Amino acid sequence: AVLRRTSQVRPLHGSGCGQQQEAIGMETRPETFSIFRTQENDPACQSEQHLGQYYTVPPSHFHTVFPHGLPPRYQQQVKTFNEGCVMVRQPALELISHLKRADYSKPTLRYLLYGVKGSGKTMSLCHTVHYCSTQGWLVLHIPDAHLWVKNCKELLPSSYHASRFDQPIQASNWLRNFRTTNEHFLSKIKLRQRYVWTKRESTEEGRPLGELVDMGVSRVKSSSDVVGAVLKELRLQAGGTEGGFRLAVAVDGVNGLWGRTTLKKEDKSPVAPEELTLVHNLRKMINNDWCGGAVIATLSQTGSLYAPSSAYLPQELLGEEGFDSMDPFVPVPVSLYSEKEFESCYLYYLDHIHFHHWLQHPHSQTEEGKKELIFLSNRNPSVLERLCAFL
Amino acid sequence: MAAHTLKKSIWSLGRIHCHIYGVNVRNPLNRATYATALSTNHSSQNKGFPDRGNKGPFNRRSRREAGDPRTDRMPVDQDWTTVYPTATPFRQGSVPLPVRMGFPVKKGVPPEKKGNLELIKIPNFLHLTPLAIKKHCEALKPFCTEWPSALDTGAKCDEHFPVKVECKDYVSAGTSLRNPSARIVHLRVSLSACVNYDYAMYLLTVLYHESWKMEAWESEKTVADMEEYSWEDSPSQKNIMSTLVRMQVAGEGEGEAVREELLGRPEVQEYRDSVTRLKNEGESESSMHQYRDAVKKVLNL
Repeated sequence: AVLRRTSQVRPLHGSGCGQQQEAIGMETRPETFSIFRTQENDPACQSEQHLGQYYTVPPSHFHTVFPHGLPPRYQQQVKTFNEGCVMVRQPALELISHLKRADYSKPTLRYLLYGVKGSGKTMSLCHTVHYCSTQGWLVLHIPDAHLWVKNCKELLPSSYHASRFDQPIQASNWLRNFRTTNEHFLSKIKLRQRYVWTKRESTEEGRPLGELVDMGVSRVKSSSDVVGAVLKELRLQAGGTEGGFRLAVAVDGVNGLWGRTTLKKEDKSPVAPEELTLVHNLRKMINNDWCGGAVIATLSQTGSLYAPSSAYLPQELLGEEGFDSMDPFVPVPVSLYSEKEFESCYLYYLDHIHFHHWLQHPHSQTEEGKKELIFLSNRNPSVLERLCAFL
Repeated sequence: MAAHTLKKSIWSLGRIHCHIYGVNVRNPLNRATYATALSTNHSSQNKGFPDRGNKGPFNRRSRREAGDPRTDRMPVDQDWTTVYPTATPFRQGSVPLPVRMGFPVKKGVPPEKKGNLELIKIPNFLHLTPLAIKKHCEALKPFCTEWPSALDTGAKCDEHFPVKVECKDYVSAGTSLRNPSARIVHLRVSLSACVNYDYAMYLLTVLYHESWKMEAWESEKTVADMEEYSWEDSPSQKNIMSTLVRMQVAGEGEGEAVREELLGRPEVQEYRDSVTRLKNEGESESSMHQYRDAVKKVLNL
């Protein structure tokens, strides 16, 4: 429907960038004149005046902060555009302001991002994680809790607790990514307890955390228990007065921790989530019986099991058990793009036509084309992205 | 259907042969109206139909000719009940209507009734015309008793027979005898017809006192059985209490006094209302917003 007319390429809206291009025919990108970009790349310094503008994540941060956390389509976009730009939006700013002002000697606060599919919950979470990372927090990012309750090829009975099950592959993958994100903490944090793995192997008190993590990555069989130990140590030590650090627990798809799994035991009976070591330990992290950090979670219907596709409100996706565990939490709604945000996103994609040949179709640059995009996408961020990628 | 097409193809083949050889020989496979030369040229032309020497189901030499269909000889004012006295499958030669049924052939219309298996498959009610039913009723009359002459008005029937029971039976052609709608029976009683006021009051008093009695098993009522969500003693209350105590909002110390004090605070009341609203009314944007504001106030954000 969008490919009906071919009209002259005339940017009608006030895109300073575009008009400058037409007039002067410059090759370089006049970044300072873009109204949809901001130079403020530090999340700590962003405020309401930057709302709707894109900031660039420095490339050096990409691999360390987000080894596994970004949505797949966004990762592709980063590869195409050769830069990672995130829009500054209200939910993330709100979260960051809460994190700035919170009192870390009190019990942990839980924040829950909720919204319809494709509204930008995971991106807001990643924005907040970037903030935490730049502020020197230790980030525990679980990219999708649903991955731990479905499609697990190997389920070993736990050695630590008779009725529980281990997931070695998932645990060791996660440990590897955790190690990449938090390299600098691994040598600083010392264990407060002795952990015995087998008759001959144990990790002594006072050893650095890095040793524990390395052991978990190499000895895959006990990796789930290593994850449990790591979480416990971090919980005990976060917010401590000497050498204390702040701990951010970022869980995407937290509704996967309560509810049902698709895993089955050998006698074909279903496995409940609490029978999985990883889930059991993660649930302990989400409780607010520790202090010195924050829990930021998002709900996700995509990838969730046995949830209707129209469900997006917290109680629907979390269920009674989940709600009671998370209660009291601060729900943060993530809405679709506002007028200004849509404008900004549109200009951002348009910008790439000059340098990266995206949004190729000439019709998409006219006012008519823009109205069509608004109508087709209903200002839903992910739908807009798919439409523009298609053009 | 297969037999029909087989017949047709042989017929057309036969016609061709007829034209070619100019011989009008009776076709051993079909009725005499379809003339073919198959009996003589059979083994050499048609490999698919081996000559069995006048034996087998397709070979019947002595077959009487079919006459005209009965429809040609039907007068307009005939007695239809004699044509279809009972339930029988559709016979195209007996039904004088130009009925068509089936998926339309290319560029056309549904196929005609001649040789139409679709019409034969479906149930028909040709044996149940109004006249036939009238005849049935007349035949059944000797076996019926008369309606009581005293019950000539509706009011009198209601007076003597206040309880009315209505059952429905369903007839359909299908795989099963049973129709679940037939299990519904309506029993009607008019309340104004019940005359005993004293008895009614007695019943109500008994019910009232019975409802106050607690059975032993009622104490086993669990949270899941409750009709409404009550915040007291719920996980939500426990969570917020423990959080607030740990936050030392009310000052040092634990115990009943602190709990009471906390429960009395307006933020906690607001929080309680919002959680109750969420659980009882279900979720919506507005109830979520209310919960959000309440949590922010309670946790001092």
